[in-house]
Amino acid sequence: MSNRIEISPTTRHEGHAKLILEVDDEGIVSKAYYLNTTPVRGFETMLKGKPAEFAPIAVMRICGICQTTHGIASCEAIENAIDCEVPEDGLLLRELVGIGNRLHSHPLHHLLTVDDFLKPDETELRIELIKLIQRMRKVGQLIVDIVGGEGIHPPNIVIGGMRTNITERAKSKIYYALRQYEKDANELYEKYTWLIERFLDEIGIPDLGAHEYPYIASHTTYGDRYAINWNDVTEIPAQRYYDDEEAKHTTTVQIPLYGGVPAEGGPRARMVRFGSFREGGSAMDINIARAQENLGATYRAFEILDELDLNGKTRAEVVYKDGFGIGVHEAPRATNTHMAEVGKDGRIKSYRIIAASTWNFPIVEKAIEGYPQQYAEVIMRAYDI
Amino acid sequence: MVKVAHVQLCSCCGCLVSLADTYEKLLDVLNSIELVYCQTLADAREIPECDIALVEGSVCLDDHHSLEVAQEVRKKAKIVVALGACAATGGVTRYSKGNQLSKPVHSSFSPLTEVIKVDLAIPGCPPSPEAIVDVITAALNGDMEYLHPFAELAENGSEACGCDVIYKVVNKSLCMGCGTCAAACPTRAIEMEDGRPNIIKELCIKCGACSVQCPRIRFPELIEKIE
Amino acid sequence: MDPFGTYKKVVSARSTLKEVLKKAQDGGIVSTAFIYGLENNLLDGVIVADNAGEFRAIPKVATTPEEVLEAAGTKYTVCPNVSVLKSAVREYGCEKIGVVGTPCQVRAVRKLMKYPIGFRHIPDKISLIIGIFCMENFPYYGLKLIVEEHCGVKMEDVVKLDIGKGKFWVYTKWGETKAVKLKETHPYEQIACHVCTDYTAELADISTGSVGSPDGWSTVFIRTTKGEEIFNKMVEDGYLEVKPIEEVKPGLGLVEKLALTKKEKNLKEIEHRKELGLPVPY
Ligand SMILES: Cc1cc2nc3c(=O)[nH]c(=O)nc-3n(C[C@H](O)[C@H](O)[C@H](O)COP(=O)(O)OP(=O)(O)OC[C@H]3O[C@@H](n4cnc5c(N)ncnc54)[C@H](O)[C@@H]3O)c2cc1C
Ligand code: SF4
Ligand code: SF4
Ligand code: SF4
Repeated sequence: MSNRIEISPTTRHEGHAKLILEVDDEGIVSKAYYLNTTPVRGFETMLKGKPAEFAPIAVMRICGICQTTHGIASCEAIENAIDCEVPEDGLLLRELVGIGNRLHSHPLHHLLTVDDFLKPDETELRIELIKLIQRMRKVGQLIVDIVGGEGIHPPNIVIGGMRTNITERAKSKIYYALRQYEKDANELYEKYTWLIERFLDEIGIPDLGAHEYPYIASHTTYGDRYAINWNDVTEIPAQRYYDDEEAKHTTTVQIPLYGGVPAEGGPRARMVRFGSFREGGSAMDINIARAQENLGATYRAFEILDELDLNGKTRAEVVYKDGFGIGVHEAPRATNTHMAEVGKDGRIKSYRIIAASTWNFPIVEKAIEGYPQQYAEVIMRAYDI
Repeated sequence: MVKVAHVQLCSCCGCLVSLADTYEKLLDVLNSIELVYCQTLADAREIPECDIALVEGSVCLDDHHSLEVAQEVRKKAKIVVALGACAATGGVTRYSKGNQLSKPVHSSFSPLTEVIKVDLAIPGCPPSPEAIVDVITAALNGDMEYLHPFAELAENGSEACGCDVIYKVVNKSLCMGCGTCAAACPTRAIEMEDGRPNIIKELCIKCGACSVQCPRIRFPELIEKIE
Repeated sequence: MDPFGTYKKVVSARSTLKEVLKKAQDGGIVSTAFIYGLENNLLDGVIVADNAGEFRAIPKVATTPEEVLEAAGTKYTVCPNVSVLKSAVREYGCEKIGVVGTPCQVRAVRKLMKYPIGFRHIPDKISLIIGIFCMENFPYYGLKLIVEEHCGVKMEDVVKLDIGKGKFWVYTKWGETKAVKLKETHPYEQIACHVCTDYTAELADISTGSVGSPDGWSTVFIRTTKGEEIFNKMVEDGYLEVKPIEEVKPGLGLVEKLALTKKEKNLKEIEHRKELGLPVPY
C-alpha cells in the first residue's frame, strides 16, 4: 500500500513548486514528483524578432537571484553565433561579476536552508549565522554593483564584453571586501559543516538523499561550451518523461537529460568533475560543497583582480551575421545554457534556454526516493532550485 | 505588531532580493514587523489575514492559480502593495506572448495593478532596497503624505515606458536636462544627448523608474524639508 | 514670499587657493570645497561639469584635485550632472560623493534621496550637495548664437563666460572682452527654466553665486548641518576668507531682488501653463 501526499507549495526556495510523494507503510518515499508550478513567462518566444542587445537584459529577469548568469550565458551565446571575441579584460570582468553573484547567491541559499539544521532553541546561533550570511552577501553584491552596474540585473554585461572597466579605487574596494569575505566564508564553512554532520548523525541516515545519477559541469567559476558534448544533451517534454498524469500536466519545466538520463548540476557536480569531491554521497554534501565553493570563488576573484588591466579594453566591436551559438555559464545552482540563432540584421531568430535549475528537478525526485518522507523538502532544498 | 506578507506571482524574485540587500539592516526590518507569509524565506504555506501584502510579479491571466492568488491577496490584506515593475507596471512581462514549452498557453501577463485594486505601487526593476524600506516604514507609521505618489501610481500608473519622459516632460517643455532619468534606468536605455533624454527603446523594459524619478513630473512638497 | 529658502547663515567668501582663483568663475567656493573634501577624505568623488571643448559641458566624476580644477568655471549650458551619479558609486566605487548643480539639479538629487526608487545604494553615499545660483540656462546652440552672433566671438576663442551687472560677458584668449545686454540673450533661454522658481538652490547643503558680492567673491548660503560642518572646517583650515554679507557691496538685497524676480515671473508662467491645460511639476 502506498499513500500519495502533496506538499504544496514547497517553501524556502525561489519560484513556485510542489512535491507529490508516494509513501509506503514505513514512511519511505517510493516515488517522488517535484513539479514546478511557476507560470511560463516565455522568454524564448519573447525574444524572437527582437534586437540581440535586448536578449541579455530580458533573460536576466528570469531569476532575480542569479540574473548575472543568465546575462552572461546570453551574451556568450550571441557572441558565439557571430564569432565575436570579447577582449581579455572584458572576459575577466565578466568572470568576476559572475563570481560576485555566486558569492551572494550561495550564502543566500545557506540562509534558506539553515533552519533545516538548527534546533528551535538555537536562536542566538541563528541570528549570528544570518548576520554572517548578510555580511557575505553584501560583498558579493558589492562586486556585482561595481562591475555589473547594478547588484540585481547588472546592465554592464553586454554583447561584446562589458560596458566599462572599473577604477583603481573600485578595485581596491573589492579586494578588501574579499579579504573579509574569505574569513567569513571559512567561518560559515566550519559552522555549516558542523550543523550538517550533527543533523545527519541525529537522524541516523548518513547517506540521506544519495542517488546514482551522473554529474554535469563545465567549469569551476565561469562556463565552457566545449566541456559538454551537446549531442548528449536533450530536453524532453514532461508529457514524455513522466508516466503520472498529474505530473505530466502540472509541471511548467521541460526535462533536460545528459546521455539519456537526468544529471545533477551545481556545486557538488563542479567539485566532483574538477576536483576530488566525494561522489554519490548524501545530498547534504551539496550544502557542504556550496560552502566550499564560496572559498574557491574568492581565490579566483583575487587572481582576476591581479590579472585585470584597469586601462584595458572591455568591449569588442559587434558586427552581426547569420549564425547559431551556445552560451554556457555555471550558475550557482547548475550549468546554465542559452542557445541563440541570430540574423545579420542583429535580430534574434530563435532562442532556447536550458535554465540551470531545470537540471536538478528530476534529480531532486531521484534523491528523495528511498528516504523517509519527512526529509523530502530538506533534500530538495540542498539543490537550491 | 503589523502583519506583513510577501507574495510572489510571476516574477524573478529580484524585488525580494532587493529587500534582502538591506544586509545588516534586514534583521531590524524583520524585527519591526511580523512576517506572516513569505514562501521564499519561511515555511507558512497559506496566505493569512494581514495588514500589508507586498506582492511581487504580474498575474498570468492564463493560469487560474495565478489569478486566484491575486484575488486571495486582495481579500486577506488591508493594504496591497505592488512591489516592483512586474506588479506595478508589467515590466519585462509586458513582452510575454506565449507559445513556449512547456505551457504554450501562458501568454497574457498583466500587472497586478490592472487585475485587482492595489493601494500602493512601487515601480523599478527592482526598486532599490532603500525605497522598499522607506515605503514599508511609511506604511507602518501611516505617513500618507510620503506614500501619496505611490498611491497615485497604484491608481493610474500601470502603463510605464521610457517614452513617458518624452511625452510628459520633453514634449511639454518641462525637461531641464538634469539626467536623473538616465541614471535611474536599470537597463541603461536612456542616454543624455543635447541635454535631453534619448530613449533607446529596444532596451526599455517598461519599469517606470525614469518617469517616477523625474522631478519635473512629480515633486512632492515634503522633499523641500531638507533638515 | 520667501526669497531664499531655509538657511543657517549667509556670508561673502573667497578661496585662498591661488590655482583655484585662477580658474574659478567667482570666489572659487565650489572647487575649493571639493578639493578640500577630497584632500581631507570627507569626499572621495565629486560630480562636476567638465568643458568638453568650446564650452560644451559634460558631466564628470572627478576623484583628484586636478580633475576638479579642470572643470572649474561656469558653462552656461545644460550639463546633466545627475546622469553620472550612479556610475560614481558603481564603477568608480565612491562612497562619499559631492555633487554640484543648478537649483533644478539639486532638487532632482533631493528627490532621489527621498524617493530612491531607481537609485539602489545611492542616497547614503551623497555627502555634500553644492548648489549654484541660476536665473536660467541655455541649450548649447543657444549659447553659441549668443557668443558668436551677438558678441561676435568665435566659440573656440572663448576662455570665460559670465553673467553680471545686467550683461552677458565673453572673455577671449586674445585678452578681449565683449558684452551684450542680458535682454538680448532671453530668446535663447531654455524654456523649461520658465517654470523654475528656485534662484539660490534652496535645497542644497551650501549654495553659492556671484550676485551680492564684489567681483572675485561669492555669496554663500550655508543651509544644513552638513554644509555648516564642512564650511567651518574650510575656514578654520584657511581655505576660505570670509566677510559678513552686511559689509560687502552690493549685498544681500540684490540677491533678494533677483530671487523674487525669478519667483514672481515664473509663478506667473506656471499659472499661465495651468490655464492652457499644460502640465506643471506638482
Ligand atoms: C547656467 C548657470 C546660470 C547661473 N546663473 C547665475 C546667476 O544668475 N547668478 C549668480 O550669482 N550665479 C549664477 N551662476 C553661478 C555662477 O556662475 C558660478 O558657477 C558660481 O558662483 C560658482 O562659482 P565658484 O567660483 O564658486 O565655482 P567654481 O570653483 O568655478 O566651480 C563651478 C562649478 O560648477 C560646475 N558647473 C559649471 N557649469 C555648470 C553647469 N552648467 N551645470 C552644472 N554645474 C556646472 C563646474 O564644473 C564647477 O565645479 C550660474 C551658473 C550656471 C551654470
Ligand atoms: S527607459 Fe529605463 S527606466 Fe524608463 S521605463 Fe524603460 S527601462 Fe524603465
Ligand atoms: S529626469 Fe531630468 S533629464 Fe530626465 S526628463 Fe526629467 S527633467 Fe529631463
Ligand atoms: S533656471 Fe532652474 S531649471 Fe533652468 S537651469 Fe536654472 S535651475 Fe535649472
